[in-house]
Amino acid sequence: MPKTALFVALSLATVGGFGAVETASRAVAQTGIPLLAVPRGTPRPAPAWHNKSWLNTEEPLTLESLKGRVVLLNFWVFTCYNCTNTVPSLVEFDGKYRNQGLTIIGVHTPEFPPYSGEHDKGNLQRALEKYHIEYPVTQDNDTRTWDLYGIRYWPSFVLIDKRGQIRYDGAGEFHVGDTNYQYWDGKIRELLEEQ
Amino acid sequence: MGIAALVALLACGRAEPQAGARRPLVLHTTRAGDSLRLELMAATGWKINARLKPVLESSDGGLVRFDSPLLTPDSAYFTAPPVAVVAASGSPVRGTVRASVCAAGESVCRVVALEVRGER
Repeated sequence: MPKTALFVALSLATVGGFGAVETASRAVAQTGIPLLAVPRGTPRPAPAWHNKSWLNTEEPLTLESLKGRVVLLNFWVFTCYNCTNTVPSLVEFDGKYRNQGLTIIGVHTPEFPPYSGEHDKGNLQRALEKYHIEYPVTQDNDTRTWDLYGIRYWPSFVLIDKRGQIRYDGAGEFHVGDTNYQYWDGKIRELLEEQ
Repeated sequence: MGIAALVALLACGRAEPQAGARRPLVLHTTRAGDSLRLELMAATGWKINARLKPVLESSDGGLVRFDSPLLTPDSAYFTAPPVAVVAASGSPVRGTVRASVCAAGESVCRVVALEVRGER
């Protein structure tokens, strides 16, 4: 009978070449408790992202080019059940508010290294088709935008006003018509009504 | 048959899903002949994401995925511990186990990365 000893050590390092963020601190939201936006008091400037790979838009969107519009960033990944469960709500927001000045941007940030297929643009395109996503989506394969915004959970949301200020943020799955949906719906309308 | 039941713990993140749930995963290993069976157990109150199957990333570059045929009806989570089998002969098992775990009944899950160092 062989004697086996296996040692498992905790690793909070940036294992797997997955960027500079501690892998272990990443999280995926799941149905259940609302982890909704808690306004942080004073608005703060949204940092400019520099993502190069985009879908559902002819050219990359920049924060500067979106001044005058309300922007909802959704950090998600197609392997996250909670993220895809939330997509119908975002699709509805897009349908209701795009013409009133809302731009939704899906920031697709992988959980696992590239072997998972999450980094593949073709896989992402198929996910957009599957979930009927027509709003712009950008690949955040190096997690730079995720890190830039200090995101920790999938799905997460950052709501930016017409002046480029972050006004609300939060995380967690929601569904069309539920309390959390109504919360976000109200915040979007609030910012759309501002001059 | 030697069994090493070892805890894999990563506790961090903004929202602690549940009190006492700071150790979301336990890795059980069982030696069976020339194979080493790795079983990833979710601690009470946690679920393992089946859409993104846990992986053992060996230090030699190999990948071994954990799997189980028993899933929730929506295929989102494992309902039985996913298992990976690796050859027990040869060099020691070294690498990283990566898994996405979700706190049952709450809205936050985590990605955990566990460094595994095995010696025989």
